[in-house]
Amino acid sequence: MKRLMTKATVLAVALTLGLGCVAFAKDLKLGSMSPLTGPYAADGNDIANGVRVAIEVMKEQGGVPGFSDITLIPGDTACDPRQAVASANKLINEEVTAVIGAYCSSSTIPASETLAEEDIFMLTPASTSPIVTERDLKNMFRTCGRDDHQAPAAVKFMSDVMHYKSVYIVDDKTTYSQGVADGVEAAAKEAGIKVLGHDHVNQGDKDYSAILTKVKTANPDIFYISLQNSATGSLMVIQAKRLGIKAALMGQDAVYHPQLVEIAKGDAEGMFCTFGAIDKNAPAYKDFMSKYEAMFNAEPGAYSAYAYDSAMAYLLAVKKAGTTDFDKVRTALLDLKFVGASKTVDYEANGDSGSNYTVYIVKDGRFQPYWNSLSGEKFM
Amino acid sequence: MEYFIQQVINGITLGGVYALIALGYTMVYGIIQLINFAHGEFFAAGGYMGVILISYFAAQGMPPFACLGLALLLSMIYCALLAMGVERLAYRPLRHSSRLSVLLSALGMSIFLQNGLMLTQGVYDKPYPTEITSGGFSFGMITISYMQILIVGLTSALLIGLNLLVFKTRIGKAMRATAQDKVMSSMVGINSNRIIALTFAIGAGLAAAAGIMVGLYYGSVNYTMGFVPGIKAFAAAVLGGIGNITGAMLGGFLIGMIEIMAAGYISSEYKDVFAFIILIAVLYFMPTGIMGENVDDTRV
Repeated sequence: MKRLMTKATVLAVALTLGLGCVAFAKDLKLGSMSPLTGPYAADGNDIANGVRVAIEVMKEQGGVPGFSDITLIPGDTACDPRQAVASANKLINEEVTAVIGAYCSSSTIPASETLAEEDIFMLTPASTSPIVTERDLKNMFRTCGRDDHQAPAAVKFMSDVMHYKSVYIVDDKTTYSQGVADGVEAAAKEAGIKVLGHDHVNQGDKDYSAILTKVKTANPDIFYISLQNSATGSLMVIQAKRLGIKAALMGQDAVYHPQLVEIAKGDAEGMFCTFGAIDKNAPAYKDFMSKYEAMFNAEPGAYSAYAYDSAMAYLLAVKKAGTTDFDKVRTALLDLKFVGASKTVDYEANGDSGSNYTVYIVKDGRFQPYWNSLSGEKFM
Repeated sequence: MEYFIQQVINGITLGGVYALIALGYTMVYGIIQLINFAHGEFFAAGGYMGVILISYFAAQGMPPFACLGLALLLSMIYCALLAMGVERLAYRPLRHSSRLSVLLSALGMSIFLQNGLMLTQGVYDKPYPTEITSGGFSFGMITISYMQILIVGLTSALLIGLNLLVFKTRIGKAMRATAQDKVMSSMVGINSNRIIALTFAIGAGLAAAAGIMVGLYYGSVNYTMGFVPGIKAFAAAVLGGIGNITGAMLGGFLIGMIEIMAAGYISSEYKDVFAFIILIAVLYFMPTGIMGENVDDTRV
């Protein structure tokens, strides 16, 4: 009888362990947050797709030990703060351990606070507002650059490289777009460039003829376009050219998107945009691009590479830490340094990873690097 | 002065687009007192159908203007059929229920169509082959593009055609009769269901034409494009006196002009504010809108 009991106990323990192993080999759940519907859905889908590529690549490299699968749960923010928080709560219920996103700074800021309460990481590929990493949130990381670095870089280009004397600025009043535009206005005044006007348009507008007539009359050397979206940016470019505006055109990183050239076509030729420097000839980017194109039959969007790197950073950190424990993964993330598709990712203590803005020019129907703000190197 | 003239040209172009959309609102309201919230979506669907057809015909090697003309015609027919389908499915079964139910049905239809466009056509903007109509004239500082001439020309032609249809033909007479009294008009042998479906079809056809004009003028279409112009055109229809065709045209041009002038002389941020302040002011003094007197026989 005693031996039977022992046998039973051993069996029970073995079963428990066995079951434990089954339970242990679980999914690693990643969430993404970006506008999948609404006017910014294009950039939002680019971001979700970037994360999908990272997961695919990670799986091909053998996955993350201890997890049988890696899955993505895409969340939709619609670039709306309330929906962003709702989406964050939904992802919390889905038990994700990290969220890649969001796109609009105005979504990232409230959502990151909700996620922070549950010790869930948020790695943004696109929110460039300085506030994002200035709230001492331990879960907040940023793979892209910062607006307070972007605006000075743009103005430095206008004054030092092109020697422009006057600028006209237009934005569409989002936390992000107005932030950059205000930054450009302040920096331009400091650099001695005359600001002939700074106007705001409403989101969702299609007709800019009235404001562009103003710009034409003011006749600036350069016309700075800070809109939240590349599609509206292209509308403005087309209308500006049609009205006969001779000024050079310049946009920021939200206007920078393959869509700009696709819609504005010839009218976009010669336009400048600032964007975080991505070396499209680097092997890491080329690998990413071929994978992305194979999966989605489309060119990566402006933020796809940043989304890919954000997801990759988290997956690598989990792999290194061997657990999803918040503090251990955080330490691993801060220690991490790897060559990503967008840049060499190396997070600082506040979660930032440095800005490296390059001015791109549209030439022969695509964006080509023109001038780097850090090194001052001119590419053409 | 040149600045002013340029802004007037901008205003007329924008107003023409609003007028074309406003007509659909006003015609439907005139005949069944329904604010058709799905109307903006007909405009977007027309824009999409236009670009698909233009690209298809261009690939067949047809000359650009033939592509454009044919695409315009077919898109108008497509949207007319779409509108008749929507009317049959979402509005006719509710003809005798409360006005609120029909209104909600219209809102639901709008969301359904918009998301349908998103799912079938994708979230990215679709570029229009703008090179067909690029170029224009310049007089000193003033620029008029061919596209602006095309918009104003086509809008005027369609408006004249519509007026002739409503006021000079038997169908128009039947439409006016149905608008005045559905029961009475059925007694004299008018099939009111058919007339109502026809009204939807004509309104949506005009919206489709506006969608293509907008696509060509601004260079792209996307699935959310119907919302904002829909609201503006609705305001235009109310300003002109909802239910009145001439009023809708007038309202469209007025809203377009006010917006452009407010943006050009005051601030682009406040252009919608001014457009709606004028709307409220007009409604305060003329509750039925500018043309909306109780002259029932001019209603559709």
